[in-house]
Order: sequence, then structure tokens, then C-alpha cells
Amino acid sequence: MERNELLLQQSAWMEETDTPSVVLSSRIRLARNVENTPFPHVLSAEEAAQTEETLVEALESVNIEGEHLKYLSLDRLMPVERQVLIEKHLISPALADQPQARGVALAKDHRMAVMVNEEDHLRLQVLLPGNQLLETYRLASALDDALEGYLDFAYREAQGYVTACPTNVGTGLRASVMVHLPALAMTNQVQQVLGALTHLGLAVRGLYGEGSQAFGHIFQVSNQITLGKSEEDILAHLGAVTGQIVEHEMQAREALKQQASLILEDKVWRARGILQNARLLTSEDTLHLLSHDRLGIDMGILQKSKRTFATLLVESRPGCLQYILERELDPGQRDAERAGLIRKALSEF
Amino acid sequence: MLCQHCQEREANVHISKSINGQIEELHLCEQCAKKVQEAHVLFQPGLILPDFLQALFGFSQMPAQTTQEEEACPRCGMTISQITQAGKLGCSVCYETFEPQLEPLVRRIHGGGRHVGKIPKRKGAALREKVELSRLKEQLKSLVEQENFEQAAIVRDQIRQMEQDQGGELHGA
Repeated sequence: MERNELLLQQSAWMEETDTPSVVLSSRIRLARNVENTPFPHVLSAEEAAQTEETLVEALESVNIEGEHLKYLSLDRLMPVERQVLIEKHLISPALADQPQARGVALAKDHRMAVMVNEEDHLRLQVLLPGNQLLETYRLASALDDALEGYLDFAYREAQGYVTACPTNVGTGLRASVMVHLPALAMTNQVQQVLGALTHLGLAVRGLYGEGSQAFGHIFQVSNQITLGKSEEDILAHLGAVTGQIVEHEMQAREALKQQASLILEDKVWRARGILQNARLLTSEDTLHLLSHDRLGIDMGILQKSKRTFATLLVESRPGCLQYILERELDPGQRDAERAGLIRKALSEF
Repeated sequence: MLCQHCQEREANVHISKSINGQIEELHLCEQCAKKVQEAHVLFQPGLILPDFLQALFGFSQMPAQTTQEEEACPRCGMTISQITQAGKLGCSVCYETFEPQLEPLVRRIHGGGRHVGKIPKRKGAALREKVELSRLKEQLKSLVEQENFEQAAIVRDQIRQMEQDQGGELHGA
């Protein structure tokens, strides 16, 4: 199969910022619609195609700090390529489900990914590694400003940016951080710490979206309320809560080191041992073991490998694995190939 | 059938949940089912969102409307029952067409309030200034409440200056 270079590109958000890194990545999503065009779900096939054309023309014209976006029409991608985009967090599963007149405009390093004709006409997304919500928003807002030069966004004085679903109206902003909380999980405190967040107007989800569970001790925390608060307030609130979560995780790590250092060392060394030697690995086992392995690296027990934690998390998913290996694999073959990929990654330091 | 979660193993655990009177079925493998139960409480808010929205829409709908001709949005043709069904509005004009029905819904989701965030550049400087002025007035109120009079005086002067500038523009125009 002919592979798409843009999809094979390493995504910027998977880079490592600092160690220990509880916050793996920061993400901003802005929902925007153009005036005088019904929202995507009521458009006929023909209207949707016309809208797509207008939007793509604008997307491919903008220049954001020297960068250009390239549009990928989902219709022209293979199913495995759509899967890769989902696994890299560049598109939503909903976008991939109905590929007609839909797609994503990507920056070269995937820092920016704009979904076309999802629930709203445009979903501007910016993803950066580590804890940098403000910089992520700055870039998203610059992209928004640039697009505004070409498109008339639907906006009302009282409601702000109007969206197909009233849950997004106002700023259209969904800010989120992806956090890795293995020590809170080991000490059974995840529920206690994250359960409180819904009372603070924040939502918690697993690594891959709405209903998915928190495999690999990775959680996404995001704002729920989009109207009646400014972008700055939303970001400051999420930033402050993120700081608290990081603090709890670090305290739990310290407690493990002080009170159960042998158990901790055993856990992370076992994870490294299995990852370096296993011949079959399911994708969930892999997430779980990589999470413990990463904890070992963060705590100075294990040596850091060349491939980053986030890169391995994503590359070991079924879609990416098949795309990297350039062939279709059944689940059994995938487990074997996945073990091979991880073995190789954990032999390069 | 494959497990809905991992999409890899055969689904042999079937869970049906009743959320807001709606039955939701989950087909999972044993391993995923275990994890679902562990994380169930934590993730419920995310899972129930669509149902929650429908319930909210339904609540604000007048029962009498189903018998008579429903008002349709002049731009996209959607009616309030179609919007309720989809859980989404049809176009930006729906926000005006169905304002009475939407207002309580939006208030319940976001806790009330008007947009105070970003304003598109092409909507003009006047709107931006108006918003900035109301933001400063809010700030002044809370500074006075905190008895931070020094800072309050600075903000008050800013407000005066802005109001004067606006008045000046009016006279000039």
C-alpha cells in the first residue's frame, strides 16, 4: 500500500517535554461555524460538498506563523488511515464514521488539526506536548484569527460563537490536558481526586474519548462550561486544577517511594521485564505496562528509551501498528507484532 | 460480535443500563467489562451526556405543540421537535427562531450568563469596547466589595475615560 507521508510524521504532541511529566499533552479545540450555512448534520450531500470546498479553500490559504495546512479528505483515505488519525488524536471517531464531504486540515507536525464538517463546520484543534495550555490557546486563537480573514463566523453578541450543540456555545472552547496518574491509581486515589472534578465544572474521560476507560492510567480533563466565562478564565481554572492533580500525583509517588519502595521497584522492573521479553502483547496490557515503565523512568529507577511514552502508546494501537508495518494483521498477529515493536523500542536507549 | 471497547476480542459480557429511562446496551469482552465496572461511576457523566441533553430539550418543550403546526426555522426548516430528536440545532438562525425554548436550556447547561469571551475582529471595535466596559464595571464592583479602594479608583478612571471617549465619538459623528 502507498502510505501517506503526512500521516507517518511524528506528531509534536508526542514529544517529551520534561521528566517527570504528569501532564503529557495540552489541547485546545475551538468550534466555529460559518454564517448563512446550516450546520453539517442538516446539509444534503451536495451542500455538504460545497461547504467543504469553501472551508478547504480558506484552510489551505491561511499562513499561521509561517505554517500552512494540508487538507486530507477522509473519503480518499483508507480505513486504516482514518484509524491512524483517530489514534493520534487528530480526528474524532464521529468524523471517521461518515467520511463523505469530511476531512482534516493538518499542519506538518500535527500541532494544528482542523476537522471539517464534524458536528460544527470547523473544529480547530491545537495539540502541544506537556503542560502548556496558554501557548496552546495562543496558537489556536491565531489560527482562528487567520481563518476569520476568509470566513464569516456565526456569532451573536449574547451567545458568542454559535454551535450545533448548545453545550459548546459561547467561546466554543474545549481545553483539555492529558494526565498520567499511575501512583494515584496504585494507591487507589484516582476516584477520590478525579471524582471531585465534575463538581468543578470539569469532565474526565479516558485516553480515547467519551466512553472509553482509563487504560494506561491516562485521563483527559476538560472544561464543560463554554458560555459566561472568558477564555482566560476557563484556561486559568483548568490550569489551577491541573496543578492540583499534578501535586496529588507527585505526593502519591513520594509516598510510594517512602513507604513501599520495594513494591514500587518490583512493579516497574516487572513491567520493563515483560515489555523487553514478551512475545505476545495485547494493546491494553501494553498500555498498562508502558504506564508502569514510564513511572519507573520518572522516578529515576529505569533508564529512558529513545522512543517517548506517548509515541509508544500510539504506535502500539491496532491502526498505527498495521500502518507502520504496511500490512493487515488479525488480532493474534497484531499481539505478536506489537510485542516485537515494543521489544525493539526498549532496546534503544 | 467484537468487544465494543477493545475491538479485538469476542464480546461475551452483555450489560444493559437504564439511564434517564433510556436503555443502553454494552457488549464487551471479559477483560474490558471488569474495567468498565471499576471506572463506571467515574465516567458516568460523559456517557449520559446525549441522554441528558435530550431530557433537557424535552423538558422545555410545550406538550401542546405536537398537535398544531410547529414553527420551523426560516433558514434551515428545522422544528423544535426535530432539534430535540437530533440534540442539535439546524443553523445559526435557530438561535433566534427558538430563543424562548433555548434560553432555559442554555441556562441549565452553562449556569446562565452572556458571552464574555473572544469577539471576532470583523464584528467591529464598538462591540469589543462595550464588552470591555462591562468587564471593567464588574471588576470595579468586586474591588469595592473587597475594599480595595486604591485599585478601584484606577479602574473607575479607566471606565470614565472609556465613557468619555465613546461620548466624544458620538458627538463627532
